[in-house]
Amino acid sequence: MGTLVDARNIRGVYYSGGTDVVAVDDVSVKIEEGEVLGLAGESGSGKTTLGSIVALIARPPLHVEQGSLEIDGKVQELGGDAQVPRTWRGAVVSMLPQGAMNSISPTKRIRHLVYDVMRSHDRKVSKDEALDRARQRITTLGLPARVLDAYPHQLSGGMKQRTVTIISTLLNPRLLVADEPTSALDVTSQKILIEMLLEMLEKKIISGVIFITHDLPVLRTVATNIAVMYQGRVVERGPTEMMVDNPQHPYTQALMSSVLAPEPKYRKTRIEGMSSFDRSLFDAPAVIH
Amino acid sequence: MVLAKYIGRKVAWTFVVLVVALLLNFLLPRFIPGNPVDAIVGQIAAGGGTGGEQLQQIHEHFMTEFGLDKPLWQQFLIYIGNLLHGDFGTSFGQYPASVSHLIGQALPWSLAIQVPAIIVGWVVGNILGALAAFKGGWFDRGAFVGSLFLSSVPPFALAIILLFLVAVQMGVLPVGGAYSFGMTPEFSMTFFGDAITYFWLPFWSLVLVFIGGQAVGMRSMAVYELGSDYVNYNRGLGVRDSKTVRYIFRNAMLPQFTGLGLSIAALITGGLIIELVFSYPGLGTLLFNAIGQNDYPVIQAITLIITLAVLIANFTVDILTGFIDPRIRAAQSGER
Amino acid sequence: MSLRGLPPRFWVAAALVAFILLVAVVGPFVVQTDPNATVGGLYDRPRCCGALLIGTDNEGQSVIANLVYGTRTSLIVGLVAGLIATVIGLLVGLVGGYRGGWIDDVLTAITNVGLAIPAIVVIILVSVSLPKRNIYTLALVIGLTAWFWVARAVRAQSSSVRTREHIDVARLSGAGFWSILLRDVLPYLLSYVVMAFVLQVSGAILFESTLSMLGLGPANAVSLGTMLYWAIAWGSVRTGAWWAFVPPTLMLTLIVFSLLLLQSSLNEVFNPRLRRGRATRKKAVAKGKEDEEPIDVGEPEPVGAVGMLETPTSSGREHR
Repeated sequence: MGTLVDARNIRGVYYSGGTDVVAVDDVSVKIEEGEVLGLAGESGSGKTTLGSIVALIARPPLHVEQGSLEIDGKVQELGGDAQVPRTWRGAVVSMLPQGAMNSISPTKRIRHLVYDVMRSHDRKVSKDEALDRARQRITTLGLPARVLDAYPHQLSGGMKQRTVTIISTLLNPRLLVADEPTSALDVTSQKILIEMLLEMLEKKIISGVIFITHDLPVLRTVATNIAVMYQGRVVERGPTEMMVDNPQHPYTQALMSSVLAPEPKYRKTRIEGMSSFDRSLFDAPAVIH
Repeated sequence: MVLAKYIGRKVAWTFVVLVVALLLNFLLPRFIPGNPVDAIVGQIAAGGGTGGEQLQQIHEHFMTEFGLDKPLWQQFLIYIGNLLHGDFGTSFGQYPASVSHLIGQALPWSLAIQVPAIIVGWVVGNILGALAAFKGGWFDRGAFVGSLFLSSVPPFALAIILLFLVAVQMGVLPVGGAYSFGMTPEFSMTFFGDAITYFWLPFWSLVLVFIGGQAVGMRSMAVYELGSDYVNYNRGLGVRDSKTVRYIFRNAMLPQFTGLGLSIAALITGGLIIELVFSYPGLGTLLFNAIGQNDYPVIQAITLIITLAVLIANFTVDILTGFIDPRIRAAQSGER
Repeated sequence: MSLRGLPPRFWVAAALVAFILLVAVVGPFVVQTDPNATVGGLYDRPRCCGALLIGTDNEGQSVIANLVYGTRTSLIVGLVAGLIATVIGLLVGLVGGYRGGWIDDVLTAITNVGLAIPAIVVIILVSVSLPKRNIYTLALVIGLTAWFWVARAVRAQSSSVRTREHIDVARLSGAGFWSILLRDVLPYLLSYVVMAFVLQVSGAILFESTLSMLGLGPANAVSLGTMLYWAIAWGSVRTGAWWAFVPPTLMLTLIVFSLLLLQSSLNEVFNPRLRRGRATRKKAVAKGKEDEEPIDVGEPEPVGAVGMLETPTSSGREHR
């Protein structure tokens, strides 16, 4: 399996008032075909910022000072004044935003958004064609077709999230960047959503996922690899099992130890928490497996 | 189905308010101490020109018309009955002219100014506000400050200033009235051409203030919408800007509709005062004269018309909003 | 909330309001003339200095004297009416919102009916029926018809405060109904009440001037509105006697404008969220009638929508 996405030397800075905040500090990430890369870290680590840069939706006050994205042999510059072609969004890389609740305009039915998305990428598609394709996709992935005719407020939280997931992948993007997709859901809905994502991967609707979350137990069930970010850098990256059971970087160790997992082997372990660690250790160089 | 329930509720509610308004309209003037008919007849007598026998007739006429010898609830029913026949009674000040006749003469002039002013003001104001939000930069700054000022100026103040500057000092447009002396109202081009010159100043006084208010409101709503999640999401999916703009406009417009309903009363009032400033022969001037003459039937009729106009406007706005925003009719009928 | 953090708009508004108050309070002492005294002929032109500074009106009275006393009258009516309306609205909203139940239902029904009937209509009908019209009866009538929207807005806020934890603590510690209202609920609403009061005052002043221009003004005092009434009735506009109507118009505009400016700058001070343009959408819109204070813009920062959509420009949007 080859490399799907190669993001190189990404540097993202927030210009706000007097101070500039470097949110993403020279990060390079590779994602393979069929991989789910979990992006973990505490609030402010830069994981959402990195996600939005890779998903090509960075906008002021966030400025991408440098970086490039290579997908399917095509290289797109991200830094400075680079113009990202509108058609890449949604079709090459797509975003699944946090809080799907508000992601759809409340005064329009779902099918309007579906049609607009398709039409914006293919002027020739007719309304019926677009809706048919959408209907097929929806039913294949286990949602009732009536979702198309609904208004956002008529859907439950879990259904909305899944609907938005489907809309984000309507154009079969190569990479899906999912930003905290499960955070606002109950456990059952979380499971259903994760299964949907994996099913999409299997059916080749999408070819790779960046799964951003602070919820470590969720990552364990869905991610093939995990990359941990701290203060704008990737401090460790490796296969999930290794990251969870045998983290090498001090920060990763601190992070993993602060998770409470209801499994037998953890009965005897104490939860140390982040504060018991010496923060200066976290500046140790990154460990990439 | 949801829509039908929503409309039904609105109709019922409007009816309730209408009944209360009618009660108020009927009862309040009756709190005048003493017998109003005596007071009025006394005034007519004091005005001179009417002899004893005539006064007697007038007195009887009004006594029967008001039915003051009958119990209050019966009077109310008489009042309602008359209203349904379009009978607003007889004017005190311009006896024996019927109130409906007077109103019939004045109403078209008021409508001619207010209806276009409201429509134009709303549309232009909203477009201006949306443009300001989208364009940004100096256009936004200028439009915003200008609109803020215009919207804070009381309509009659603007009317007076315009009247003074344009009509008196510059002499460009006429000072008062609705048409030139010597012309009679008719549906002809010459009359229309003449009347239009008298129309501009009152019209613009009302429109400019309204535009200001709408522009400020729309601009803030558009700015607010621009920061919304769905705008960001649309962008993330590669949806064309032109399509997203349509979503934004539609959502930003919603509070503008409800705002319209709320400002109708103020607009109508403003329009009436503007008529005063320009001696425009609409309901405003009629009301002014009626107050001066203590002409209660006319005053009552005008207040009733104002109330009706506001109720109808609010009802229409509510129904329209129900059509446009599915959440409202859902919330109102308890769907969620 | 430090004094330095207050936006420039606030200071402009405060300065204007202070100026107006100065005119109203100190003016009559500076301008020694009695507004009802005849000092000249019909519409005498302005002459420096003293009583004829802005000429005379239709009764030969000094315009500047009338202006100063008129400002005072208009302000008094505005303040009294505003106070009445704010206090009643506050009480009704607090009790209804906090108490809930049938009391709330009754109060809300009354409020809604009151909101639906145009206030100007009631005011006209009542004023016409009054045997005597002086400043205070006018202020009373205006105040009694204006409290409805304050009640509605306060009720919305107080019913949301009701569910907060510190209220439970107060209740558990045995505090009485009124004590809780005054000491635990009210402080949250204070900023809103202040803004509502400012709006009420400005609205009341407009009402009074409207009434006066229709001829329903106070019989015993001169107000800015009555000045305009006489100016129109005696055709000063047509004859070009600008000194009879321009000063009261300007003064009225200044008062209304500065009060609205004050309210909008206070809004910005109390609600910094409004400045950025990104906040959780309140369900207020879904409730139908939008009667909360108009969503204020904040600073007139040039915001480019174009930047939001495609090309980068500066914007105030917070990015996660």
